[in-house]
Amino acid sequence: MIQFKHVSFSYTGEEKSLKDVSCSFEEGRITLICGPSGCGKTTMIRCVNGLIPHFYKGKLEGEVLINGWHTSDTPLQKLSHHVGSVFQNPRSQFFNVDTTSEIAFGCENFGMPPEEIIRRIEEVVKQTGLQDLMDRNIFQLSGGEKQKIACAGVAAQEPEVITLDEPSANLDYKGVCHLQKMLALWKKQKKTVLIAEHRIAYLLPYIDQVLVMEDGEIRETYTGEAFSLLSEEELHKRGLRGKTFENAVTMELPPVKDNKDRMVLNDLRFGYPGESMLLDIPGLELPKGEIIAVVGANGRGKTTFLRCLCGMEKRCKAMLTYNGQSWNRKQRLKHLYMVMQDVNHQLFTDSVLEEVMISQEREDKEKAMEILRLLDLEDVAMRHPLSLSGGQKQRVAVASALASKREILLFDEPTSGLDHRHMLQVADILKQLKEQGKTVILVTHDGELLKQVCTVKISLDAKKETQCQEIKHSVIRKYCRLPKPNSCG
Amino acid sequence: MNENSSNKLNAKDLIHVGIYTAILAVLLCVFACLGIIPVMMLSLVVIPPVIAGIPYMLFLTKVKKFGMILLVNILLGLMLWVTGMSYYATIVGTITGLIAEFIYRKGEYKSKKMGILAYAVSNLYIWSNYFGIFYNAEEYFSTRQEYGQEYIDSVQALLPAWMSPVLLIANFLFGLLGGYIGTKVLKKHFEKAGIV
Amino acid sequence: MDYKVNLKPTSLIDPRTKLLLLFVISVYVLGGTGGEKMKVFYWILVFIPVLLLLSDRRWKLFLISVLVYGCSFVAQNLLQGDLTALQSVLALTVYVFVKFLPAVFMARYIMATTKASEFIAAGKKMHLPDAILIPISVIFRYFPTIREEYGSIRDAMKMRGIFMGGGKASQMVEYRLVPLLADSTLIGEELSAAALCRGLEVGVERTCIWQVKMRFLDHVLIGFCILTIFWSIFGGLFYDPI
Repeated sequence: MIQFKHVSFSYTGEEKSLKDVSCSFEEGRITLICGPSGCGKTTMIRCVNGLIPHFYKGKLEGEVLINGWHTSDTPLQKLSHHVGSVFQNPRSQFFNVDTTSEIAFGCENFGMPPEEIIRRIEEVVKQTGLQDLMDRNIFQLSGGEKQKIACAGVAAQEPEVITLDEPSANLDYKGVCHLQKMLALWKKQKKTVLIAEHRIAYLLPYIDQVLVMEDGEIRETYTGEAFSLLSEEELHKRGLRGKTFENAVTMELPPVKDNKDRMVLNDLRFGYPGESMLLDIPGLELPKGEIIAVVGANGRGKTTFLRCLCGMEKRCKAMLTYNGQSWNRKQRLKHLYMVMQDVNHQLFTDSVLEEVMISQEREDKEKAMEILRLLDLEDVAMRHPLSLSGGQKQRVAVASALASKREILLFDEPTSGLDHRHMLQVADILKQLKEQGKTVILVTHDGELLKQVCTVKISLDAKKETQCQEIKHSVIRKYCRLPKPNSCG
Repeated sequence: MNENSSNKLNAKDLIHVGIYTAILAVLLCVFACLGIIPVMMLSLVVIPPVIAGIPYMLFLTKVKKFGMILLVNILLGLMLWVTGMSYYATIVGTITGLIAEFIYRKGEYKSKKMGILAYAVSNLYIWSNYFGIFYNAEEYFSTRQEYGQEYIDSVQALLPAWMSPVLLIANFLFGLLGGYIGTKVLKKHFEKAGIV
Repeated sequence: MDYKVNLKPTSLIDPRTKLLLLFVISVYVLGGTGGEKMKVFYWILVFIPVLLLLSDRRWKLFLISVLVYGCSFVAQNLLQGDLTALQSVLALTVYVFVKFLPAVFMARYIMATTKASEFIAAGKKMHLPDAILIPISVIFRYFPTIREEYGSIRDAMKMRGIFMGGGKASQMVEYRLVPLLADSTLIGEELSAAALCRGLEVGVERTCIWQVKMRFLDHVLIGFCILTIFWSIFGGLFYDPI
């Protein structure tokens, strides 16, 4: 039993993130805490796992009780026996280099006898089907696989309460399916589970209770059933993503006008050293000036495809014919621009304006400001890029691409972890780029974004699709109709 | 249960020690490899102190308790020892780390001037890597006979005994410079971005 | 099929022995301590990493090391006596190579055959305090992170056409370090939060599922290392340079 009694919290130097919240979570129930970014759902989770007040400093009023203990009087180390946590960022939450040690980590910290830890690991692996991931280097796993390991580590600790903070933010369809399996298991084991999320579709079958938050307050409370009856529009109004859980790979797109302008990609072949060929594309025609989605399962080489396309992979020698010009790798580096998933890596200077100006052939402040105005960045021109929100950073990267007059823009998962409003913002920018005549190629597993903006789809899937075998080269172009909802098996 | 009131290092402090030691070790390793070339040997007291100042000053913003500075130096010293630089760095690093601790504590773990000074002192273990040449020259060169007489001559020409204090001072001064640049970069980027 | 945790040590020898060997090799081969009287020990130490690589079936590394040693041996024999400037540079390069390689191969062997968790287990056996062990595990975890991060920063610079930071040395450093450090503060914060929620705390008794044990080969190698050190100190008493 977890109780919030008139809890308010503000991080040091900030406004209140929680305003007088009172609620309770009963044992053995799965609760979804949802709402748009910044609504206070992460703060709620941190109050439960004790990071507030022990780790994140600020002003806490009221009390949070777990099984009758006050979290503020209970040391984190003791609390961690009872509350297990899975976090949003798979890159930063693991402590060990190999997967087995990572699952054992929590139990080791509790000082359990090694035999017991080993028994628990074996049990968790059996329950969750993680055999293939054991004894591996975590750095070689995909984000989804890392998240599986994080869940398994928490499960091995056998806490009564489990909190998850936007666990699906970096996951693709398959990764989300695995998360569902985990939830089903925890539901069966009668764990108390709290999930903060705005991608809710995958949770609907499991949740018992829903808290909708906004501005640090609980606005509405639903039972799981009542919540799943809300319409899409009502969900979007609350900042939430849609309730159909769409698989970007199998989703179909509405037909597009056949436009004549094409670019041709030739002889793109790539495999990592010591591995079999990952990408083998002898020839691919793509329409110019469209928004093209690249879809496929994790580990299929979507990001690698973008890296090869824009010339980052040295060993990949492909040719791209655009407007009658043939570009080799070096030329592609100059003409294509990739907005990476972690935008932080591609921002170098100390102001947004500077960031745009170093990309210009000749520095021209007027033009730079014009680009910033176009992308709604004028107000932050003098701010440090790293102080901006994720969406703004993305736009700064786009601005620098425009400043260097690139024709083709590539995006790697531009909407991962975004709520509905921010997803629409990204969609708007993509449309804007299309209007300017740019070609956009994006890797995504976000079915909703795909539906919003994409007109062409490249599926990277060699094994399953029969069409692939017909074309024989692991790539198909689809111009189909009718979006149809999918559910996870 | 308030970690601020306790002066003992907690897990978070130790994690920060690990991260910044890793970064400093990588930088040191990259630039130490330059030291194989005779002329570049002198650059060891110039380039690493200046460049490592940036991560170090960022590290100091995380230091609020006694022990973190010392630990970084011990760990770096151990790494230098195990990878065959010399064990002088471990000894000197421990001592300078300890002095730097006191200096930074004097600045109440926030004074930037004391921070720069603490950095300049703590990074003197770089200078100690030359000890082998100054105080044990005969043996040092007997083991390097095969580098060729020219190499020995050029190293010896560059490093007569009186160079030892000169290098110490250079190491210290470039440390100050590195610390100063570090605070500048901190201000230009991390403070402006609101990260620290 | 049920999964069983594989507790077998990754390699023939204990991490503690590996570290001792690396240390002895760096002191006596790379550092050349002890001079002429150490010749026999020197050459044994040069070949220990090669044999270890062989024992672990690291064929590729083994072949490379044999090839490099062979070539440099031939080169050293050819480049004797009066040398032109170019030749002496060559001789120097070859020599530096041979000096550095054993330590490099040993380090490669350690990296390839030791889990970070085995190091920590060994450290526990040696009764190292948490204040050393926790940072060491973080260092192990952070090296690959630095490589990943640096790789993507370099890619981004290439794509944006920022080579060497636009010609200015200061920017060359700044553009590389700042994103790397910005990320490290973020990861430091999140990693700490996650680790604390999993019960990591200083001064609490922790266990370890990995067991490290000294076996026969360990004792042999440690004995050899002790003999090496002994000979370097007292060997002068018996050694008679001809």
